[in-house]
Amino acid sequence: MVGDGTVRLEITRKRRTIVGVAVVAAVLLAVGLAVTLTNGSGRATEVTHVDGNPSAVLYAAGHRAPVPDFSGTTLTGTKVNFAGYRGKVVVLNFWGSWCGPCRSEGPTLAALSAKYQGSGVSFLGVDVHDSPANAAAFEQDAGIKYPSMNDPGYAVALTLGNTVPISGTPTTVVVDPTGHVAGAVFGPVTYSVLNSILTKVTA
Amino acid sequence: MTDIRVPQDAAAEDEPPLAFPEDGRDAAEASTAADDAGAGPAAGWGWFRWAWRQLTSMRTALVLLFLLALGSVPGSILPQQGQDPAAVQNYFNSHPALAPWLNHLGLFNTFAAPWFAAIYLLLFASLVGCVVPRTFRLVGPRRGRIWSTPPPRAPRNLGRLPHSASYAVPLPPAQAVAAAAAILRGKRFRLRHPAGDEAGGWVSAEKGYLREAGNLLFHLALLGVLVSVAIGGLFGYKADKLIVEGQTFSDTLTALDEFHPGRLVTGSDLAPFQLTLTQFSASYYTSGESRGQPSSFDARVRYSSSPGATARPYDIRINQPLNVDSVKVYLIGHGYAPEFTVTDATGKVVYDEAKPFIPANTGTFLSDGVVKVLDAAPEQLGFIGVFVPTGVTVGGTLDSAFPAPYNPAVSLLGYAGDLGMNSGVAQSVYQLDTSAMTKITSRPFLLQPGQSFTLPGGRGKITFTGYRQWVSLAVTYDPGQVPALICGMLALAGLLLSFLVRRRRVFVRAVPAAGDGERSVVTVGGLARTDASGGFEDEFTDLVAQLKAAHEDPTLPSSEQGNSGERPLGESGA
Repeated sequence: MVGDGTVRLEITRKRRTIVGVAVVAAVLLAVGLAVTLTNGSGRATEVTHVDGNPSAVLYAAGHRAPVPDFSGTTLTGTKVNFAGYRGKVVVLNFWGSWCGPCRSEGPTLAALSAKYQGSGVSFLGVDVHDSPANAAAFEQDAGIKYPSMNDPGYAVALTLGNTVPISGTPTTVVVDPTGHVAGAVFGPVTYSVLNSILTKVTA
Repeated sequence: MTDIRVPQDAAAEDEPPLAFPEDGRDAAEASTAADDAGAGPAAGWGWFRWAWRQLTSMRTALVLLFLLALGSVPGSILPQQGQDPAAVQNYFNSHPALAPWLNHLGLFNTFAAPWFAAIYLLLFASLVGCVVPRTFRLVGPRRGRIWSTPPPRAPRNLGRLPHSASYAVPLPPAQAVAAAAAILRGKRFRLRHPAGDEAGGWVSAEKGYLREAGNLLFHLALLGVLVSVAIGGLFGYKADKLIVEGQTFSDTLTALDEFHPGRLVTGSDLAPFQLTLTQFSASYYTSGESRGQPSSFDARVRYSSSPGATARPYDIRINQPLNVDSVKVYLIGHGYAPEFTVTDATGKVVYDEAKPFIPANTGTFLSDGVVKVLDAAPEQLGFIGVFVPTGVTVGGTLDSAFPAPYNPAVSLLGYAGDLGMNSGVAQSVYQLDTSAMTKITSRPFLLQPGQSFTLPGGRGKITFTGYRQWVSLAVTYDPGQVPALICGMLALAGLLLSFLVRRRRVFVRAVPAAGDGERSVVTVGGLARTDASGGFEDEFTDLVAQLKAAHEDPTLPSSEQGNSGERPLGESGA
């Protein structure tokens, strides 16, 4: 057959193109993957660390996420609705009486709640994975007077979802009077760090 | 091509009928080799082509597949960091000389080791490099692809083929060949049928291209499995959670006991479901050889797929996970959580909780645990305890005779002092640090449900109020699981197809019978390239019988059948 040679040449040229296309596709895939892998670290929000402390952050106005409403009962049986706190700065503290770092920050929170009483700042605990008897005994020991929600199943953390990444206890979230997240401390608070956040948020 | 009796010299013009050059990897290799010859002295490019050809060769792919299997062996023999960090630590303790070396080689984290990734990626590249060109050859739009390449010309001497038959027919050669072509077309052979002449004519037919399609499907599906596994590793996650009957947990980072995310997973990717364990029950064989062995587990839960959604009931059992938003919740363990109430020296209840104890003996569920009373006055209290579901005393020692709770009891040893929890350092909830405590009971005391023990020194009392059961759940999300299953099934289908389908060729030649132009002698030759399952001989015999029948009675409908079939490829019959 006369045409055979031409056909084969054509196939050869075509295959070279295909190999080229495959190489280009593989490179594009690798680049895309690399971009995706590194992209996670860059966040667009305006975040500042408090007093150089990497686990304490302040969010600038305009970059604050709204806190979804939630409700429940306190350890003493009173109904709580988070929307009822609108107009006040709220310190939302996730804790448990079984959690060592929470126990160590308890007296600090008690002292600060007393200091900011009457300055438009409300403290609200969220007691997770705990029994009310154990929690009440701890609050009495630590001198904590503000209410805590009884949340054994972590429902509040689930509701907050992506608003603030609550990856463990203790976590403290400071909510501004419009119901937006103004700052957070991941891990136990110190007097100076939380005091500094509250000073800025209430200013 | 005028006379079939012309010997070998004219036959050189024919393509060799025994070669099936379009088939499989060999063809790709052969033609790449041909490319090389024409590539000239561009040395760098030549080396690249050489390396690429090596990588995409069948042999390399098989070696890589073997290496992948070999590389997974340490992952199943040695403890793995991702699955059981404690076991890795134990291995370090028991093999202090060997373990660091194994660690350098990444053998405690095999599936994330760079060398493992290298094998994986090379295999991936090899498969892609082989499969992509072959796919184009199979389904590509241009002429010259497998589907549109006509079969080779019929060899001169069909009698030399592995299968052949010859018979006389009452038709002129051209008509005999045309009738044969019609029959073959009706059997969905691809034809090459040039116009015949006075001296005779021939038709070539080929069938079984699905073999290549099946083979390719197998390779593509294998690639699909690799991609699925990668997707699972990047976007999947695995988490563990222990909950006691009556407790609820939310699928959020802080609530999980352990969280192993894939590379591209963050806490905000978790499915926001909530789950309450209403009841757990385990049944055990009470007699026979397997006495004490579990016969069934049943964790009754209520779950809602998002906060505020309606709660639905479900029974999680072994091999029957809960599926919520494509996240699967498996039952992976269970145990007992004795409930205690502690009253301190002031008469106040300072502890009231069901505390999970960990089975020390998974046959009898004798379980260990601790109770930490952190806010007791005047001092913190701690208890080291043993729970037995079916308590028996053997030689003065408490033991459990059966895993089901027929006679539950706890034995406790009391301590008072500083539990070391207020320093802010996190510590295990399953261990008691007694370094700053003193023993307040000289020996363990035994309690049955409802019984209390008055602590010495007016420190109050502890009551064993009862027990609950706990389960540990594995929350897993593997987006690659379903694709991997589908690809696995496709791979099997492709493999079957490529095993069961034969590529075979049939040639028919007709020459005028001696001294009678209206009659001719027909020779049929057959050749199967791959006949692993046998059967071509039978097929050939049947085919010859049908051809013969059609030739003897040209009005048979089978010869008409082909005309309604698809358009023949290559040179069309007269």
